[in-house]
Amino acid sequence: MTETEPLLSVRNLEKHYPVGGGLLSGPSGAVRAVDGISFDIARGETLGLVGESGCGKSTAANSIVRLEEPTGGQVLFNGGDRKGRTRNDDGTHPNDVTRFDRTEMKAFRREVGMIFQDPSSSFDPRMPVGDSIGEPLSVHGLDDRRRRRAIVEDLLGRVGLTAADYERYPHEFSGGQKQRLALARALVLNPELIVADEPVSALDMSIQADILGLLDRVQSEFGLSLLFISHDMSVVREICDRVAVMYLGEIVEVGPTESVFTSPKHPYTEALVSAIPTPDPRTANRGIELTGSVPDPADPPVGCRFHTRCHAVVQPPDLDVDRTTWRQLLDFRLAIEAGEVDAAAIEERARIEADGDGREGSTAAEQLRRTFDLPETVSDSAVEEDLAAAIGAVLDGEDGRAAERLRSTVRTPCERQHPESVDHGDGHESACIRHDPEVRTAREWQTEQ
Amino acid sequence: MTDAPLLNVENLTTSFETDAGRLIAVDGLDVTVERGETVCLVGESGSGKTVATESITRLVEEPPGSVDGTVRFRGRDLGTLSEPELRSIRGAEIAHIFQNPQDAMNHCYTVGWQIAEAIRVHEDVSRAAAKARAVDLLDRVGIANAAARVDDYPHEFSGGQKQRAMIAMALATEPALLIADEPTTALDVTVQARILRLVNELKAEYGMGVLFITHDLGVVSEIADRIVVMYAGKAMERGDPVDIFEHPAHPYTRRLLACLPGVGSDHGGIPGSLPDPTDPPDGCRFAPRCDHAVEACSRGEQPAEIEVGSGHCASCIHYHEGYDESVLATDEAVGADPKWEESDD
Amino acid sequence: MASEQEHGRGDRDRFDRIEWDEHADSSGFGLSTNTVGLLVSTLPIAALAAYDRRFVGEREATFEALGRDLGVGSRFETLGLDYDPGSLEYLFGFTLLCFVWYLLVPLYRNPRITRYYWREFKRNRPAVVSLGWLLVVFAGGLIGPLLLSAPEQDVLVGHQPPVYLGIDSTNVARCLGETVGGRCYGTWEYPLGTTQGGEGVFRNVVYGMTISVQIAFITTTIVAAIGITVGTVSAYAGGWVDEILMRFVDIVLSFPTLLFFLLILYIYGAGLGMFILVFSLFAWGGTARYVRSKALSVAEEPYVDAARLSGASTFRVVRRHVVPNTASSIITQLTLLVPGFLLAEAQLAFLGLGDSGIHSWGQLISAGRSDLAFAPWIVLAPGIALFLTILAFNFLGDALLDALNPEAEAENQR
Repeated sequence: MTETEPLLSVRNLEKHYPVGGGLLSGPSGAVRAVDGISFDIARGETLGLVGESGCGKSTAANSIVRLEEPTGGQVLFNGGDRKGRTRNDDGTHPNDVTRFDRTEMKAFRREVGMIFQDPSSSFDPRMPVGDSIGEPLSVHGLDDRRRRRAIVEDLLGRVGLTAADYERYPHEFSGGQKQRLALARALVLNPELIVADEPVSALDMSIQADILGLLDRVQSEFGLSLLFISHDMSVVREICDRVAVMYLGEIVEVGPTESVFTSPKHPYTEALVSAIPTPDPRTANRGIELTGSVPDPADPPVGCRFHTRCHAVVQPPDLDVDRTTWRQLLDFRLAIEAGEVDAAAIEERARIEADGDGREGSTAAEQLRRTFDLPETVSDSAVEEDLAAAIGAVLDGEDGRAAERLRSTVRTPCERQHPESVDHGDGHESACIRHDPEVRTAREWQTEQ
Repeated sequence: MTDAPLLNVENLTTSFETDAGRLIAVDGLDVTVERGETVCLVGESGSGKTVATESITRLVEEPPGSVDGTVRFRGRDLGTLSEPELRSIRGAEIAHIFQNPQDAMNHCYTVGWQIAEAIRVHEDVSRAAAKARAVDLLDRVGIANAAARVDDYPHEFSGGQKQRAMIAMALATEPALLIADEPTTALDVTVQARILRLVNELKAEYGMGVLFITHDLGVVSEIADRIVVMYAGKAMERGDPVDIFEHPAHPYTRRLLACLPGVGSDHGGIPGSLPDPTDPPDGCRFAPRCDHAVEACSRGEQPAEIEVGSGHCASCIHYHEGYDESVLATDEAVGADPKWEESDD
Repeated sequence: MASEQEHGRGDRDRFDRIEWDEHADSSGFGLSTNTVGLLVSTLPIAALAAYDRRFVGEREATFEALGRDLGVGSRFETLGLDYDPGSLEYLFGFTLLCFVWYLLVPLYRNPRITRYYWREFKRNRPAVVSLGWLLVVFAGGLIGPLLLSAPEQDVLVGHQPPVYLGIDSTNVARCLGETVGGRCYGTWEYPLGTTQGGEGVFRNVVYGMTISVQIAFITTTIVAAIGITVGTVSAYAGGWVDEILMRFVDIVLSFPTLLFFLLILYIYGAGLGMFILVFSLFAWGGTARYVRSKALSVAEEPYVDAARLSGASTFRVVRRHVVPNTASSIITQLTLLVPGFLLAEAQLAFLGLGDSGIHSWGQLISAGRSDLAFAPWIVLAPGIALFLTILAFNFLGDALLDALNPEAEAENQR
């Protein structure tokens, strides 16, 4: 297969939203919704972009098509008559969408179509759907009304509706039909790439299957590339050739779909894949349970962004603790550092429970352990010593000392190093330090199997 | 009467008076839920599953709606109870959880206050004791640092946490029956997995019966002890998960299973659309869209449910006397797809 | 199915066969058909107004002069066209045309959605009755003056009672109807009786309809025009433009309109036209705010994103998507504004501050209040008409709110 350049090449795309700051001073921080993602889409390929809510996938899509202005990175679009252009001397690229001027943008708008998530608000309720679908034609200069109408009616037939639907209003259609209309509108300018933002999430299962089948047919008939954004892993597995997994604004894993699903390299992907409910009653879900919740994108964790929830977070080899306990210890330390441990409340609970037994001191510590799912004694004596001291410090109200004490043994490289992308072959990459060859060989931080 | 099921719904029919006519949302539904078991009502939009559960506890507004049939809970006919009696059962013995936790919780009060209120409405306990129980419950449903979180407002919780808090609220009075209306549909898949596990654990711990509504067959296979497949207000098939997934008897169930992503068939969806609820067709509701419909399917009433296996019933004429059920065998073999087993690594 | 259609239509009519290089981009600045229609139909009125101003003297009736100059005077006379429009009438004509071109014509050209709106509207029975009454007022106001001549004073027939009712004969100078038992009864000549000055009450009410209709249309047009413009510009420009405009709106909202009007009345004197102008120039604040917030929320909708994504300019997006969607929600607000204006006019008239030269309902009520004890119909007839009209507008506004929202309806179907 000849080396053909990809249709779309995203390099280190960033979208930050400034927050905070006063009236006169500038913003004090930024929500890093998309923080340096890179991927390629080849011609005719379907790339899935998966992740949970808040990971930034919709923002990424909007930034790629410049519905919102990206704050950094490049989006190289090699479609239309832009094939074969090379990078300029100053590092910029003539095909960089983020640097397109007005005319180039207008031409670009013809090359990319988009389908939105909510079918009910995708269409102007006061316009007949035929007019909505034909509007892009009019915007780009096709003034002949009769010809516009003919084109739209033809397109309606191709998406499984009829020419008579031209006059109808959006509220007269069902959810599935509206997504067909959305597809028609995305196709009307004959694009090379379609960005579909959760196109079937709001639909019933049988309708989902309908629409996915339609997408598939249209894609092969017109040779389109498809960027398919979804949180539904089973749908992604069905129709995507390759898949990229996003977490908190970064891509943690990318590769051919089957490869990513059957042998995920990143713990987050592992957790996602294991969480997919399988319609097979004989297998119970052995899902990996992620603790905690997604961190604030304005203040992402230092090092690997996933380390605050990772079930496979790296543990120093000299510590004799099982994986679950290690996770609890880390969570406890993070809670102290975040000031989330309410010593007073815990003592109060202990008091209520002790029922006037008078053994307040030890009961409060036990209560604390129980609240954070820590065992009564940790198997590793060094850790247990630090833990007991930390608990004491917390109950005394000295969070700083407690955290410091814990940090001597309860620490992980995952919080210091931002993982680099590792190639697993066949285009399958992941960003986890467990696969980083340098980390693996460093004796001190050997991972357990 | 220890032999009576916890919940026994017979011939439940709910209709609404609309400008377009009398809309029949639920048409003669039978469901039973035993103690300690989870029954899943499965169906797509318009199947009537949500209205059915609202009708059980009479949450349906009586005009324009009207509810017929018998609903027996712990042996008592709920239809004969007065509104105050019903209120004392709702929340205390039958608890509801809904799809959108943000709609179910009041943003003006802390979560702990709302849970404590749920307790104090039905039991005579002090505020402090109620609050302590609230902390316990939040802890039990997996909210980290419950003692501190109990004083937080709903907007300070994430979607999954709000749903857990709502479950905590529902369990505050240790109900005998939990009715869950698509509680995980709006949640991310990892959060959904945790919530489902939680429901299973709590069901075992409290010995509750659970009536769980969903349109997601994957969810069903995780938690159901028994399944009722609904279409256009009627039950098409019922059975346990193995029966439904591996030997689906009703054509609708088969088509639905074929729509699952990954099952590999290229059918796409199910042709046709739902019947008009104000003017349902004669005979089997699914007949207009069924590949195997014969003339008799469009006459008379919905075919009576026939037992096709132990505890496994389907409402299809082909299983009746004088019909050949092997006609249905022309469907592609659906059910446990080998692809799923592969991923068990 | 698709292939049959393919054979039927030309190759040019497939979306993937368009040669985009041939087409220059449209900027979207063209005028809509409606605007063109409005401008064209306004020309005759504008021409007449200009003619009136320049060539016709103050005491001459315009059409008389026109007839004379064009040589068709006699024909005008036979048609009864002795109309003398003042500036208010020209403005009224223009607002009527706006109404026709921006409201009625779009409804006519989109029969589907019109039928849908009507179906939804019909559900509200009181609103349908209200609409009926308002149509009566509209028709009466428009053609009444053409069919009936203006009420004339005739002191001798003052205080005649309405037909079938009676008044003590001592109050009446001359009784046109029968006199039975010391009471004078009404006749069909003056079906609603007469005023103190002998003017027919019925005729007065009809002429009052004209005034009310004029007030309703002109104020609505002014408020809508300014409110929509300010609201949309504010929403779309954002930043300091938004801030400044909204502060300006605050000023307008808190302005003591009544005092200002009294001031003008005192200094220059004020007729109906001045009343309409002053009050509507300070009434658009609420509308502007409402339009702004609606425009902001519409701008968040995915269909606006889709329009932008197709390459539409901001102007085009605003014109084709934002304004129509906000405009339909302010129709309700506007219909609810009209009662305020009608009441204000009536109140000013009652206080003796109104335009005494016109036959408005307020003037009639004011004139008849001294005779309330023995001749209540002078106050009641216009009073009831006013009350019904205000009530009708309120019902209408409510019903329009429900009828014009197709999305809300879809919710109900669940």
